[in-house]
Formats: sequence, structure tokens, C-alpha cells
Amino acid sequence: MKNRFFLVVATVAAVVLMTSCGKVPQADIDAANAAISAAQTAQADIYLPGEFAALNDSMTVIMQSVEAQKSKLFKNFKTVKLQAGALTTLAGQAATNAAVKKDEVKVEAETLLAQVKTLLADNQALVLKAPKGKEGKAVLDEIKGEMTVIETSINDAQTLFDGGTDYMQVLDKVKAANEALTAINTELTDAIAKVRR
Amino acid sequence: MKRSLVKALIFTIITAIFIASMVWLFFALIPEPPLRDIESAQASIAQARDQNSVIYSAKTFREARSYYDSAMISWKTENKRFILFRDYERARMFASMSQKKASEATRATIAKANDMRVTLDHEITRLTTGVRDFEKVFSSMPIPQEIKKKHARGKLLLREAVIAYEKGEYVAGSVKIAEANEYITDSYNYANDKLVEYYKSYSHWKEWAGKTIKESRENGTYAIIVEKIPGVCYLYHRGEKKYTFEVEFGKNWMGDKMIKGDNATPEGRYIVTKKLSNGSTKYHKALLINYPNQEDLEEFRVRVERGQLPSGSKIGELIEIHGEGGRGGNWTEGCVALRNSDMDVLFKYAGNGTAVTIIGSSVPLSEYISSR
Repeated sequence: MKNRFFLVVATVAAVVLMTSCGKVPQADIDAANAAISAAQTAQADIYLPGEFAALNDSMTVIMQSVEAQKSKLFKNFKTVKLQAGALTTLAGQAATNAAVKKDEVKVEAETLLAQVKTLLADNQALVLKAPKGKEGKAVLDEIKGEMTVIETSINDAQTLFDGGTDYMQVLDKVKAANEALTAINTELTDAIAKVRR
Repeated sequence: MKRSLVKALIFTIITAIFIASMVWLFFALIPEPPLRDIESAQASIAQARDQNSVIYSAKTFREARSYYDSAMISWKTENKRFILFRDYERARMFASMSQKKASEATRATIAKANDMRVTLDHEITRLTTGVRDFEKVFSSMPIPQEIKKKHARGKLLLREAVIAYEKGEYVAGSVKIAEANEYITDSYNYANDKLVEYYKSYSHWKEWAGKTIKESRENGTYAIIVEKIPGVCYLYHRGEKKYTFEVEFGKNWMGDKMIKGDNATPEGRYIVTKKLSNGSTKYHKALLINYPNQEDLEEFRVRVERGQLPSGSKIGELIEIHGEGGRGGNWTEGCVALRNSDMDVLFKYAGNGTAVTIIGSSVPLSEYISSR
């Protein structure tokens, strides 16, 4: 009788013990979240949008895995712990990559800004040499007006650049100015070359 | 002894079967977690996000995310309960709604993005044509600086819109093109309205030129006809065009002369009253005309009476056809300027009394625009 009783008690105890095994690796999950926040602070969402989206997707999968384990009788958070650890590493890498990419874009924007300023000065010099025939004068006036507007846009881009937030926006603005100035440069050069022939 | 052993064995077997049955029943009653439904919802959201639903179907995408969050919260809440009492139906329901919304957002995004791309493409083409037409037709017109700046600003915004379009950023491109449209359309309409307004005098110009040529034919005399568009001076003899010269006018050439100092070249029928050369003019050679004539004086008086001119305004005078032209652009204070070599020819044939008719153009407006 006594043995039967102990057998039942032992069975129940074993079940209780096994169902309470496995705690949520909250510290690892918190670390992963912190790493993703740090990546966002490094502007990974702007400079590496694909990579940043993948980080968020991975975190979503981890949270699903946590609840999936909680739904079980016998929980095992080993895989979740490993996933969270890997995600923390990836997010750290993304932060680093974002800083590198931001620097690349910054350098590109800075180079292009310098280039358009030089092109603007070159065009202003070409305007003085351009032929001033009847139609030519009107076109030159038009070009001068256009360059004034482009110069304002370049100054706006410089202000944005000095602000140091979104170099992608600076790049788009300066690319438009560069295209406009290049077209003007071609027009002026062709007009001057025609007169020389 | 044997009997008690058998009894014990039977009891153990029955107990074991009972416990196994209880354990099996326990596991059978554990509810299936909503993992698959939630994974499907998350996959649909990711797809919608990758299609830029955040931009193109923001509201529907937000709803999808909201339902997903509700599904997760519901799942978490149920997981806190004793395992046999958990009910994941609510979580499944939210997950299903999330998936539906995300799919809806994706479909709407694809349609909207395509519409936006087509509209943006059309607008870019239309405004590029507008810019080109403005520059071809209106660039030689005396247009205020602020209008020219507007046009230039619109042109730059158009380039920014093209860059956004090429990057597939249709929302950003649409914003830029809307701004560009405002600037380009405003400047185009200003210039076009000004030209149309100017051409309202076309019938008068045609009449004056026609009369001048007829008189030249009938009288066998020379006549000068100056056309502001396209900026030429014709010398007629006996009604036949003999010479064509390029000319330059006052900076404010478009329209009739109103007052002294307005830099406008007058329009009307005049005659040469004096020939100037050999140092009597600083413009190589000159033909003084009888501006203001009777008509000009009458018009001036009427405008002053109607308050259309500032008080104290004076009518202009000393309008000539002279040399020192060929500078490019319109620079005089109202006179008509020719190159010296051309002025030599005109001066040779024109004399006191030679008819000088100054008009806007003999070319109809539609022909002028299509020729550009």
C-alpha cells in the first residue's frame, strides 16, 4: 500500500517538475532589443533599410518562438536564447554598417557639393564668353536666372549637409543641381564652339 | 502466495494503464497554439511592408499591424492561464484579420503605386514640354525677373521629380511634380497671357502694314516696316520687299509706348522727319520719326484723363531708327537699332517723308508659336 502511494506521488512530482523547466531568456531578449534600438540610433533604418527590416523581422520571430514555447507543457528556450544572441550580434553589425554607409553617403554628398560649386563657377565664366547675338542674349539671361535659382538650391543643400542628419536628401538635391548645371555647361560650350568655327 | 503476487501484478498493470491514459488525455486536451496563423500574418505584413504599403496604403497597413499586435497580446494572455484552460481562438481570429488586412494593403499598394507611376510619368512629360515651349516661345519676351525665377525654380523641381521617379519613389516624386507644376504653369500662363493680350492688336498691325505697302506700290516710293516679332526691319520699294535687317528695340518692347522713359518702342504709322549723320548723332546714323503723331497724342490724352497713367506723366519723343545695334538683346530707350552696315543701306534709300510703320508682327500668333 505504502509503495503504491509513493509511486503515484513520484509520478505526479515528476510531471510538475518537467512542466516548470525552462525560463524565458528575458535578459538575452532585452539585449537584442537594445541592440536594435542602437542600430536605429545609428540610422540603419535610413541607410540600410533592408537590413534594418530584417532585424525587426527576426525579433518578431523570436517573440513568436517565446510564446510558442510557453504554449507547451515542456518548455525549452535554448533555441530562443541562441536566436536572441545571434540577433544582438547582427544588430551590432548593422549599427556599424550603417555608420560606414552614412560616412560613404556623406563623402559622396560632400564631393558632389564641391563639384557643383566648381561647375557653377565655370558656367558663370562661360556666360561671359558666350556669343551675344540677338537670340543669344535672351538665352543667356535665361541661363543666368536659372543659375541663380540653382545656386540657392545648392546653398540649401549645404545647410542640410551641415545639419548632418539626412545625407541622402542632400545627395538627391545636389544631383538635380548637377544635372541642370551640366546641361547648361554643354549648351554654353557648344554655343562658344560654334562661334569659333 | 502465488495468488497475492498475481493480484499485485494485476493492480500494477491497471494503475500503469490508468496513469498512461490520464497522461495521454492530459496531452490530448492541451490546445494547439496559434503559431501557424501568427506566422502567416507576419509573413503577409512583411510582404506589404516590402511593397511600401507604409507609404501607399498607410491606414490599412496600420490596421494589419494593430491586429497582429492584438493576436500576440491575446496569445501571451492565454499562456498565463493553466494549460488546459487556454483558448487561442481569439488570437487566431486576430491573426486571420491581420493577414486579410495585410493582403488588402499589398493589393492596394500595387494598384496605387502603378497609378502613381503612370501619372508621374505623364506629368513629367507634360511639364518638360511646357518648359521647352516656354523657353522657345517666350524667352525673348520682356518678362519680369520674378516670373523667370519661378520658371527656373519649376525646372529644377522637375529635375528632382525625375530623380525620385527613377528611384521608384513615386510619392516623393509626386510631391515634387506638384510643386514644379505650380511654378511652371504660373510662369507659362503669365507669358502666354501677355503674348495673347499683345496680339489683340494684330488686325491693326496687318491693316497698317498693308496700307504702307500699298502706298509704296502706288507712289513708287520707299517704305520701312519694322516688326517687333521676330525683330526685323524691311525696306520696301514700289511695294516690293528689297532688304531685311535684324533690329533691336527698347527693353520693354512688347506693347505700344505709353510715357517718356518706359523703354517701349512705339507702334503706328510714322514718317521720317530728319536724317542725322556725320557726328550729329552718337549712333552712327539716325532717322528721326514723327513720334508722337496725332494718334499718339490723342491716346495719351485719353489715358491721362482716365487715370491710366501716373499724374505728371509726359509723352515720349525723339524716337529714331539708328545704328550701333547688333549688341544682342533689346537695349534702347525706345528707338529701333540696326547694325551700322545695315543702317548705311537704310540711310541711303530713306529720306524725309519716307513712311515708317512699326507693328507687333505680320505673322499670326498660331504661326509664330508653331514656328518656334
